[in-house]
Amino acid sequence: MAVDRREAALPVAAPTTTTTEPAAGAAIRQSNLWQDAWRRYMRNKAAVASAVIFVIICLYCLLIPGFWKIPGIWTSLKDYDPNAVDFSQSYAGFSLDHPFSTDKFGRDLFARVAQGGQISIAIGFAATFAILVIGVLYGSLSGFVGGRLDNGMMRFLDALYGLPYLPFAIITTQILSPSGAVSVWTMVVALTIASWFTTARVVRGQVITLKENDYVRAAKAVGARWYRILARHLLPNTLGILVIAVFLELPGVVLGEAFLSFIGLGINPPTASWGSIAQDGREAYRLHPEVLFIPCLAIATLVLCANFIADGLRDALDPRTRETG
Amino acid sequence: MAVFIIRRVIWTIPVILLVILMTFVMMRQIGGNPFRKTERNVPPAIQANLERKFNLDKPWYLQYVYYVKNVVTFDLGPSMSQRTRTVNDIVKDGFPKSLKLGILAFLWAVVLGIPLGVLAALKPNSIFDYFAMFFSTIGFALPSFFVATLLIYYVALKANLVPTNGWPQGFFEFDDRVILPSFALGLFPMAYFARLVRGSMLETMQQDYVRTAKAKGLPYKRVIGLHVLRNSLIPAVTATAPLLGLIITGTFIIEIIFSIPGIGRYFINSVFNRDFSVVMGITVLTSVIIIIANLFVDIMYGVLDPRTREAR
Amino acid sequence: MALLEVNDLKTHFFTREGVVQAVDGISFSVEKGKTLGIVGESGCGKSVTALSIMGLIPKPPAKIVGGEVLFDGRDLTTLSEGAMQEVRGNQVAMIFQDPMTSLNPTLRIGTQITETIRAHKDVSKGEARKRAIELLDEVGIPKAAERIDDYPHRFSGGMRQRVMIAIALSCSPRLLIADEPTTALDVTIQAQILDLLDALRQEHDMAMILITHDMGVVAEVCDDIAIMYAGQIVEQADAFELFDHPEHPYTEALLGALPQLEGDEREIRESRLTAIPGRPPDLVNPPEACRFAARCPYSGSNDSCTTVEPQLREIRPGHLVRTAHPTSERSGERETVNA
Repeated sequence: MAVDRREAALPVAAPTTTTTEPAAGAAIRQSNLWQDAWRRYMRNKAAVASAVIFVIICLYCLLIPGFWKIPGIWTSLKDYDPNAVDFSQSYAGFSLDHPFSTDKFGRDLFARVAQGGQISIAIGFAATFAILVIGVLYGSLSGFVGGRLDNGMMRFLDALYGLPYLPFAIITTQILSPSGAVSVWTMVVALTIASWFTTARVVRGQVITLKENDYVRAAKAVGARWYRILARHLLPNTLGILVIAVFLELPGVVLGEAFLSFIGLGINPPTASWGSIAQDGREAYRLHPEVLFIPCLAIATLVLCANFIADGLRDALDPRTRETG
Repeated sequence: MAVFIIRRVIWTIPVILLVILMTFVMMRQIGGNPFRKTERNVPPAIQANLERKFNLDKPWYLQYVYYVKNVVTFDLGPSMSQRTRTVNDIVKDGFPKSLKLGILAFLWAVVLGIPLGVLAALKPNSIFDYFAMFFSTIGFALPSFFVATLLIYYVALKANLVPTNGWPQGFFEFDDRVILPSFALGLFPMAYFARLVRGSMLETMQQDYVRTAKAKGLPYKRVIGLHVLRNSLIPAVTATAPLLGLIITGTFIIEIIFSIPGIGRYFINSVFNRDFSVVMGITVLTSVIIIIANLFVDIMYGVLDPRTREAR
Repeated sequence: MALLEVNDLKTHFFTREGVVQAVDGISFSVEKGKTLGIVGESGCGKSVTALSIMGLIPKPPAKIVGGEVLFDGRDLTTLSEGAMQEVRGNQVAMIFQDPMTSLNPTLRIGTQITETIRAHKDVSKGEARKRAIELLDEVGIPKAAERIDDYPHRFSGGMRQRVMIAIALSCSPRLLIADEPTTALDVTIQAQILDLLDALRQEHDMAMILITHDMGVVAEVCDDIAIMYAGQIVEQADAFELFDHPEHPYTEALLGALPQLEGDEREIRESRLTAIPGRPPDLVNPPEACRFAARCPYSGSNDSCTTVEPQLREIRPGHLVRTAHPTSERSGERETVNA
């Protein structure tokens, strides 16, 4: 019955339309849950700032590595080639040419961290998406059907909880890449397989709660088939939970990739990922700590932002966790 | 109560068997016959002998049965890369060190993290609260290898307060080498507890029964100490299970960074060396530990919240 | 001198959206051994009044900004927290609306009773436990000596409310405040609990304040009744007087909402339950004038209802009302809006 923290972090789904309290005598206004949630989210300064920073980081990672190919925009940008090796520039320190300094091979870190970000964030989103898909399928099947199937599926899940995350992920990567070179897809698969249980359990919990809701009973009473009930009533109401789950799973996956790459069992140089850059930086961190610190700070920032966004979303979507009413 | 405990204990057995099965399947996927894959040239006669010894000539389900039998009798097989040592030797060597590291880290987390959360909840939105939450947010977001390296850099190298690596030999030996690694490992759980306990306490203090307790004129200390704290710590206890898992896997990284000869470091090295019996053995061991830890947490939960005892 | 005297109590909530004037100048008194009923709809401030008396309002957003609460001559609003703890549970006890959530689920009910006793009286654990069993017996829990060690979830709603009452009585308080004690219970259990409260009150010679939104409930049990609306008392009188001669339009409407079970059969069949249209005003910006005007069937376009705030006046000895259109002055007036 081990309950993962992330389960406790998620709110119970609420119906999708609410009515707002009018002033005495005013007409009653229909307001969507999403609009209310949007407004509440916008009031949370940390969540908004985090969302902005998150977008900035994503843009940074998407745009910077390609800049050097665009002529005439900014001539000194031609130095921002993540793969350009130039030993004369080794550990050059912070400068306008190299805002994040350079690594051992003289590669500019500003571009390299951006490039690494592409991979790390891509792995993050891909794995998160896969986790959600598997989790939703497993969880809704288990929750909706219930009974012995549910019991069995949950026991199986309990067993999976017993497998330690890191060794499990490591072994998976080893299985999938016997030759030793770990590709991006291998990482995605390994991290997904090691982390999907929580989401499955949460989705199952939601489905079970919603199943007993009166509007589902009403739908059944009118004769709706089970797949219609699932698709039209249960899943849309778990949408909010899923969005929150994205931002709760993402840090875990990104950190997982970082851990694995750092110890050399994940993405390896010269391919850049935040973890592999950190691995590079490990050698000389005593003298040139920036090569290690900067990718780590990038990871930490992303993780922090994702957490605040998840918090903000949770407060926005679950009216009960609001403060003084 | 006793029934509850026994039921939980019995359930762990099929779970452990399933875990061993899964590890077994995965390992076979990697290696098949590991002796063929290693670079060492093993003469065919010796190879045949080795295969027989490891039951590799038997069908896979029999191999599984043998393996389970071995595990139950605590025989994890020989190491494939270090010819003179068995997996048991390696584990006997490394496990106490990892265990000590894990326990110390958990102690840091509980002794610093929980009180921090409690105090922050008692003075919400104060300066103390902001600092506590800031600190815990950092501990939460920074990857532990980063924190570890930062600590080594600033505390050990620059300030020269503690040595940079190493670990005492005996289980009950403690010197200043244990401080940094256990703190680095314990930082995430510490931050997690602090935030969790704070949130949980704030929520509990809103509950109706706390209002009742105050309405009864109970002294503040009792209201907080008994009514609020006890109910707030329940989520902290449930969180302990996954946190223990995180601590266990976290030891892998910390041991590498601080050069601690524990099973985590052995595991990583064995992966590099393709020493599958060690990898498998340590995986099974860690799994069993996690499962037992989960069991323990479940029981604690039952003790603290009487409602769950009757639920299942 | 009255046991409890509340004079011009004002409690405001300072929130992000503005200052909610939840209780805006309430005055009443409760004599020793008597029961006062406070009636009003949700949000009118009756619970806040009770919590203000007990000093249990959540201090960050809420604050008692004016008035006094005199219990036995002492102003409770000026007492330190330590002194208030001495009063709570001991001299003034309170029971709450939802018995499901008002008891700590992780403590045995015996503990929840004995801790109250031992917080206020110097007795041994054994004595406290004995007293707890007596109390459970008194409130009608069967097999008290066995059930004292049970957890709250083993009890039904009605039983839990009895436990709450037992806790409240444990130190023989002089005043019991019951905040909607029966709202969360079935109708049949409601009657039992009310009877229990009344019997206990008489036996222990306790004064009681019963807060509810249900006129039927106060009819049973109360000596005096105060009707609250939007943070103010709009009518106050002895129970018989109030039911026989209601003066405030709101009171009339509340009574009109009660199903009639006596009288001509045909009348009963054809009578309708009248609901009061509209909603209470926003208490962040209460109207400057009569707060009930927007929903009142008697307020017209050319009277003072929307310009001048009516004051509480004594229309008959012992009967106070706050309105420009009391019933006894209304003969000949026509309703301006159909109910």
